[in-house]
Amino acid sequence: MDFQYLKNKRLLLVDDEHELLDMLVSILKEEGFNHIVTARTVKEALDLADSFQPELAILDVMLPDGNGFSLMEQLKHKGEYPILLLTARGEDEDKLRGFGLGADDYIVKPFLPKELIFRIMAILRRCYKDENPLVKLQNSEIDFDRAEVIKDGEHLPLTAKEYDILNVLYRNAGRIVTIDALCEAAWGDNPFGYENSLMAHIRRIREKIELNPSKPVSLITIKGLGYKLIVGGK
Amino acid sequence: MAKQTPNASPWKTAEEVAKALQLTSDEKYELPDSIVQELKDSNAWAIYIDNESKSVIWHTDNLPKTVPMSYTLSDIVSLTRGYIEGYPTFTGKGKNGLVVLGYPKDSFWKHMWPSWDYHTIANLPKTVLTVFIINAALIFLIYMVANSKLLKSIKPIVNGIQSLPTGEPVYVKEKGLLSELAMNINKTSEILQSQKNQLRRKETARANWIAGVSHDIRTPLSMVMGYASQLKEDTNLTDDERQKATVILKQSQRIKNLINDLNLASKLEYNMQPMNVKSENMIAIVRQVIVDFINMDIEDTHPIELEMDEDLSVCPVKVDKALIKRAVSNLIQNCINHNEKGCKIYVSVVAENNQCTVTVADDGIGVTDEQLKKLNNTPHYMICDENTTEQRHGLGLLIVKQIMAVHGGTTVIDHSSYGGFLVKLALPLES
Repeated sequence: MDFQYLKNKRLLLVDDEHELLDMLVSILKEEGFNHIVTARTVKEALDLADSFQPELAILDVMLPDGNGFSLMEQLKHKGEYPILLLTARGEDEDKLRGFGLGADDYIVKPFLPKELIFRIMAILRRCYKDENPLVKLQNSEIDFDRAEVIKDGEHLPLTAKEYDILNVLYRNAGRIVTIDALCEAAWGDNPFGYENSLMAHIRRIREKIELNPSKPVSLITIKGLGYKLIVGGK
Repeated sequence: MAKQTPNASPWKTAEEVAKALQLTSDEKYELPDSIVQELKDSNAWAIYIDNESKSVIWHTDNLPKTVPMSYTLSDIVSLTRGYIEGYPTFTGKGKNGLVVLGYPKDSFWKHMWPSWDYHTIANLPKTVLTVFIINAALIFLIYMVANSKLLKSIKPIVNGIQSLPTGEPVYVKEKGLLSELAMNINKTSEILQSQKNQLRRKETARANWIAGVSHDIRTPLSMVMGYASQLKEDTNLTDDERQKATVILKQSQRIKNLINDLNLASKLEYNMQPMNVKSENMIAIVRQVIVDFINMDIEDTHPIELEMDEDLSVCPVKVDKALIKRAVSNLIQNCINHNEKGCKIYVSVVAENNQCTVTVADDGIGVTDEQLKKLNNTPHYMICDENTTEQRHGLGLLIVKQIMAVHGGTTVIDHSSYGGFLVKLALPLES
């Protein structure tokens, strides 16, 4: 996969349990991340933030000398970078509070490492996409900045709806996105009754990105459920 | 008091005496001994006044000295009406004169001028009846007033007693006849309220404690899951070792689900779960749950298929999306947990009879009829029964039932036509 540029980003991890920190570092290193620092208190985190200049921070909500929410606010004052909150509490209330204050995502312990990596990559992709605008598919490339598909040297523009749909699929690359989620992305608040339209748009997208639209390898259908975008050469 | 004779009326006696007076051969009057005795018994005396001379020509032996021997017309009138010298008198008509009986002074009382207005007497029955009716009415009125006063003091008491079981605080004014009763009712209400509050506090404390414990379990579990996951992907290990890691990972996920379920179950049980109810499309919810499972599926041992009517795209319901997701998710997880070797899972969404029905079925092991009966009839509240040797978990299903109950829906457990287990959830469609 061509996301190595993202894995070079500087990560700051903050949690009061050092064994958990060790595990997180282990997972991230295995995935290819190579710039990681850790902190176990709010104070440590703030000090590190100044010197390290992180590009993504992962914070536990419960810290010995404060809580993750207030730490998040303080970090935001120092710099603009995405923040992911780690917590043992599954309450919706906490989730909303986290998002309201500017958290970019939220993951509840215990989590599968796969899940964590997926979310980190999603945030990084969203925030740092300018640096590598082209998304490589098996038989084409997508330029989200210019809203076009490049296939066989040809530049094929994407319509607004096609862009919205592809965007959601890309952000969830490798995972199934439900029909309803896609309809909501393209048609906003009242996404009912657009399934046929969706099918039509998918067909048109395939015509642009696939070698053989009738035998798709990048944008595949999961019957009755939704669609999946496969990125890279896999 | 005068001794009562068999014939108690002195008038009759007087007549008797008058009849019984006999003129003897030597021109003297005589009374038979029985009557003489009668008179003596009553302490009465008798005189016989001659018509012509108007003087006493015979008398009994016990005649008092003060009784005159001759009478004028007005004297006769007087004695007929009332008394001679204080003795009540009674007259009887004799052959040639008047028999007068005199009784002891305090034996009889006579009205001296016994005459009344004619109309008064003529109207007497009416008058008596009227007085009687007025009395009766008065008595009735007094009864009603007293009764209503009593009822008035009883009514609040009765209301108070009837309100006690409602669980609301009850207060009855403590005054009047039944003030003590009112006091006791008020005290009872206070006790009930305090018990209610205590129970509420206990339930809240328990739910919070459970939440706290499950919270503490999560961090250690994260580490187990994290490392197990790494080991599973580690190519330096043997297949066997990687398989062990896979098992560790799967089991730790089960623990995670159990903790989440325990937390949620206790919240739902003690009504501490805030509900965020909105209009949702049930189909969208079910799809998302299935997709989440597929996206997370570690092995492909439990494929999930969605069966739906082609034409059905929307199933509008009013629900808390997170809770319904949890319910459907628990059902699918159940199929996975009970069929370790793998199985196929079929999920369907149907709209009919004004209801939205979601069915989760598998083609796995299934349950016996007996187990089925138990599952369907287990009360959906949590029981802590130390006497039972059965496993009391089945927390996943319990939560599903609780969530359905809180939404006003139903849960039915049955055998699946695919050979395994089936759970059908029904919710009212939003019109």
